[in-house]
Amino acid sequence: MKKGAKRWAIVFLLPTVIAFCIAFLIPFIMGLYLSFCEFRTVGDAQFVGLQNYIRAFSQDSDFINALVFTIKYAITAVISINVIAFFLALMLTRRIRGTNLFRTIFFMPNLIGGIVLGYIWQLIINGVLYNYGYSITSSATFGYWGLVILSSWQMIGYMMIIYIAGIQNISSSVLEAARVDGASSLRTLISITIPSVMPSITICLFLSITNSFKLFDQNLALTAGAPSKQTQMLALDIYNTFYGRIGYEGVGQAKAVVFFVMVAGIALLQLYFTRSKEVEH
Amino acid sequence: MFKKILSVVLCVSLILSVTLLVGCGDSGSADVYFLNFKPESANVYIELAETYQKETGVKVKVVTAAANTYEQTLKSEIAKSSAPTIFQVNGPIGYQSWKDYCLNIENSDFAKLLSDDALAIRDANGKGIYAVPYVVEGYGIIYNDAIMRKYFSLSQRAVDIDNADQINNFATLKAVVEDMTAHKDELNIDGVFASTSLLSGEDWRWQTHLLNVPLYYELRDSEDYSDPTIAGLNAKEVAFRYSENYKNIFDLYINNSITEKGLLGSKSTSDSMAEFALSRVAMVQNGNWAWSQIKDVKGNTVAENDIKFLPIYIGVDGEEEQGLCIGTENYFAINKNVSEEQQQKSLDFLYWLFTSDTGKDYVTNKLGFVTPFTSFTQAELPNDPLAREVVRYMNDRSKETVPWIFTSFPSDVFKTEVGGVLLEYAQGNKVYQDVENTVKSKWKSERK
Amino acid sequence: MKKINFSNILIFVLLLVLSFLFLIPIITVVINSFKDQFFISQTPFVLPNSNTFAGLENYIKGIADTGFIAAFFWSLFITVCSVAAIVLFTAMTAWYITRVKTRFNSILYYLFVFSMIVPFQMVMFTMSKIANVLKLDNPIGLVFIYLGFGAGLSVFIFSGFVKSIPLSLEEAAIIDGCNTLQSFIYVVFPMLKPTAITVAILNTMWIWNDYLLPYLVIGSDYKTIPIAVQYLKGGYGSVDMGAMMAMLVLSIVPVIVFYLSCQKYIIKGVTAGAVKG
Repeated sequence: MKKGAKRWAIVFLLPTVIAFCIAFLIPFIMGLYLSFCEFRTVGDAQFVGLQNYIRAFSQDSDFINALVFTIKYAITAVISINVIAFFLALMLTRRIRGTNLFRTIFFMPNLIGGIVLGYIWQLIINGVLYNYGYSITSSATFGYWGLVILSSWQMIGYMMIIYIAGIQNISSSVLEAARVDGASSLRTLISITIPSVMPSITICLFLSITNSFKLFDQNLALTAGAPSKQTQMLALDIYNTFYGRIGYEGVGQAKAVVFFVMVAGIALLQLYFTRSKEVEH
Repeated sequence: MFKKILSVVLCVSLILSVTLLVGCGDSGSADVYFLNFKPESANVYIELAETYQKETGVKVKVVTAAANTYEQTLKSEIAKSSAPTIFQVNGPIGYQSWKDYCLNIENSDFAKLLSDDALAIRDANGKGIYAVPYVVEGYGIIYNDAIMRKYFSLSQRAVDIDNADQINNFATLKAVVEDMTAHKDELNIDGVFASTSLLSGEDWRWQTHLLNVPLYYELRDSEDYSDPTIAGLNAKEVAFRYSENYKNIFDLYINNSITEKGLLGSKSTSDSMAEFALSRVAMVQNGNWAWSQIKDVKGNTVAENDIKFLPIYIGVDGEEEQGLCIGTENYFAINKNVSEEQQQKSLDFLYWLFTSDTGKDYVTNKLGFVTPFTSFTQAELPNDPLAREVVRYMNDRSKETVPWIFTSFPSDVFKTEVGGVLLEYAQGNKVYQDVENTVKSKWKSERK
Repeated sequence: MKKINFSNILIFVLLLVLSFLFLIPIITVVINSFKDQFFISQTPFVLPNSNTFAGLENYIKGIADTGFIAAFFWSLFITVCSVAAIVLFTAMTAWYITRVKTRFNSILYYLFVFSMIVPFQMVMFTMSKIANVLKLDNPIGLVFIYLGFGAGLSVFIFSGFVKSIPLSLEEAAIIDGCNTLQSFIYVVFPMLKPTAITVAILNTMWIWNDYLLPYLVIGSDYKTIPIAVQYLKGGYGSVDMGAMMAMLVLSIVPVIVFYLSCQKYIIKGVTAGAVKG
């Protein structure tokens, strides 16, 4: 079997591996290297050591501001997305009439792209704020909540689906037993439902954290960072540093590496949590 | 169900994409690639490229960068293997960024069209010609004379002049504007000034054009340089001596605006131009290029003959003689790194555009350019009301033109930062002192 | 029993209200797409009246300005081809590296998994540069790029499933005289179908809506729908709110059609993808 298969390695591996090298592996390694270089284009790179990393943090406060804004946004968005999605999932697993229709509606925004979503919400939010003499760029607070509302609208359906799957996996006999024992519904929720869907909760938490960190399209379309870059998130700041000004390519690449390390850190944390949960079971 | 749909979708898309591929397959092989800076002229250039191809067989690819993303687009495009052959630099500062890509075109027929070759951009030693300006533009305060006449026919008014032409300093302008705001119901307008658009990317009229005026007066008095633009290029710092004047005119705009201050951050230039075209406001600060926008607004009610220009007065001594801000930030450069054949074809295209009858017809009537080229006669100037006004001011010897010294502003980042702080000042989140500080500190930090 | 019914009615009403809230943004955009552009941004929640009704004008203008028809087909072409390529090739790769245990293959596997956590910004510049140098900056080249960039997640999902397929079936096929490729196509791939649908759905949702990658790689010559929408905002020196609304509606319609016709698979795919991802 193994021997026979090996002869086919070229057919099975080559297309994916070549594409993978071109689209990911080589660019990734070059990107790492370029973050230590001063360059305009790939050809004229000159090694400058850690200078780009220093400039990323010291040149101006954009990067730090974007980091703080991203973290603040992520905390609120993750909580709002998961709490609402969880309660929707609870409501949709009670065999209520119309469950399928509701599920369809709640999930739908998830399929709409970030750019389109951004402009939809810009219209809505500006329309509401207009009555009070404001617009979404009047203050960073509006942009902040706008982003939270937008991403909640988009992500709730997705997380809800995962929670529904988790809740449906709870064996009905356990719930029946709880009911016979006379446990209140709050009690059942806390002692049975939540512990049983812990794996779903972990998945959803990390999915929403990573998505919040990587948010770009929505940020670009909704506020593009206005006012004065106050609502600029990490991904957008990197893009603007890179393409927005000449002589900052290396700094942009260095910021991207820092960004990558953060996202990878979150992912490793997730791995650790899922693993430790698996051991418990 | 799923399978059926999937297979239908697959088939349809494959067939269509093959057709598309065949149809557009040759789009990569253009001889001339022009990266256009002016979004308002995007469609004219595409039409022009088709005409040129019909006449000469040379394929011209036109790509237009979205508003305020020219540098970004140029940067990603110029690194490509099929890079733009004609691109634009916005003056000496732009040339500094792109000098590695600019071909010396001193000996080309195109460069020789310049009526005054002092306008061209040369290298640090004053040698060669690396970029050629192709349009001269002017800006000021555009006003609707019909509304102004209505105002001057009011029996009770705060000023003793009797037409808009007589406004020749900031004090008078302010008195008129504030009095008009008081009478706006009688004048049937919603505000004197159109929205001071401060949406990001739409704030260039304030952070660049308006800021040009106070900084011009400061740099004009430079002891080391007679030319204020050169003084600006060499200024490590600015004192922003006329900061108070800048505040006054900006306040005048936003206090007498059609739009509440909190909403200015959602307004774009096209909103302002629509407000003006629909006669909802009497004045708007913009340049002659805005004619195409005014003209294209549906339900346009402002008569062509009533569209006039007023200089931007900011309250500096002797401003009674001030004219419009006239200059250029539009220079064509030829990419040094493309093949010689492409360079020649690009130059031929530009030469054709500014000398052939067809090309000149486009330039004058569709693009509406007042050009600095000898191939255009006095009779071949654009015939729109704003261009006529610019020419009138240029020819009026008693008026002193304010040059576009903003081409010496240290960087785009400088302008963006000023735009951002202006928005926050307008919204009341910051005080004017922050605007002044930003202008000074960002000038210094961006000029390295 | 009565009490439960009562609370169910309460929940039903609550869900009804929430559904309405969820639909408001989409309804608002649809309504505004029929209004004249100057009546949109200030009064988005007002229905069009005879004064503000613009008919199909916004749609006509929007389609003409953005080249929406072409954008739609480019989006369709890129998405369909990329997804087909990803499903086929990553299934093969995943099967191979799971079945043939060599050091190289396990390194490969970890590289694929690693690529899942790398944000796009890390490679955006270098990748678009390489794509340009290798003349991959066209829709067909983009399909190849998507295969490479999407390989991580897809290989990961497939591998998880391949492990659960009993080896005996493949061995039986080999004994029956199939070569490895044949046994993969006739025996393994049909069994991978549910996973293949998951992979297809997840990648469709990503590629159809992707903005930055196609913008950087092919954006100046070919516009996909997100690029066309974004360009409408910044291009042409003016924002025509009417055309904008019409384009938003037109870009939502295909998504909703796709969703309603494949809902079952989408929900399943998302669940399966999330649990494994």
